[in-house]
Amino acid sequence: MTRPEARPGISAPFIVFLALFLFAGGAASASPDPVTVEIGVVVASGKGSSIDPSLSSLRTKLQSMFNYSSYKLLDRMKRPLAIGETGDFNLPGNRTMRVTPVNAPGNKIRLAVQIMEGGKNLLTTTLGLSRGGMVLVGGPPHQSGVLILLISAE
Amino acid sequence: MECGKVLQVLQDEIDGRLPPSVAAGVRGHMESCASCAAEAAAYRRVGELLRVWTAALEAEKAPQLDAMWTRVRAGIDERKDRGRFASQARKWFWLPAAAALAGLALLFYSSDVSRAPFNPSSFDVAVEDLESDTATVALVDRGEDLPRVIWIFENDKT
Repeated sequence: MTRPEARPGISAPFIVFLALFLFAGGAASASPDPVTVEIGVVVASGKGSSIDPSLSSLRTKLQSMFNYSSYKLLDRMKRPLAIGETGDFNLPGNRTMRVTPVNAPGNKIRLAVQIMEGGKNLLTTTLGLSRGGMVLVGGPPHQSGVLILLISAE
Repeated sequence: MECGKVLQVLQDEIDGRLPPSVAAGVRGHMESCASCAAEAAAYRRVGELLRVWTAALEAEKAPQLDAMWTRVRAGIDERKDRGRFASQARKWFWLPAAAALAGLALLFYSSDVSRAPFNPSSFDVAVEDLESDTATVALVDRGEDLPRVIWIFENDKT
């Protein structure tokens, strides 16, 4: 009676390695690179004197830019978007923000940004950033303070 | 004890499986019964012959048994060796996959840690246009090392 030969368990690891290799290679060679858009929703007010620990890296910048004493991070959203793909981000106060990466030369990122409030256009702009760069949009009132949006992309 | 009863338990008596009182009764009967004693002697002879025959058979088959056990042992050793090789191969073939995973994890971990949370590499921003239907908007630029801010003055709220 013959017994089936036991196969050494190399096929599964080999397939995993191959998949990782192809994934890494594919990701490296994919063009154009998707843009990861990150939105931080901060409410700034003159009440209290606390700064959200998540904003510690921006503490001095915020204090230099504004006269508010309290900064609280309400939400943080991160989304990878392909060039031409629009991402919708919900903001407090029946507001929404639409972000669309558009073609940009070299290491630059261009974002078409639109903020709507109750169906009305609150802001339409196109921003050019370096990868990893950040821009702030502020002003819309929220509770007893104002909203400050931290928009970054890489 | 009667002969019929003795003959029923005779083999047990020879094998020593009877209670002492019953065995003594059987032996007592055989001292006075030549027929049962002869039957007992015949049983013992058959037993001895069987033992001799079995021993001879075992001696005759010993080389074959040895050869069979040698083959069994060789088979067991071979399977052990094969299992050891497969185990080693499995261990070493995981290494590249683990290294690739570690590399990818390091790549993503380092890029995330250096940037987040809210740790921008630059505040250099070009604002191409600014429009609003309901508010006044302005670009605030206080220098290279500070973020550019687009401020929305909602006409009826801010």
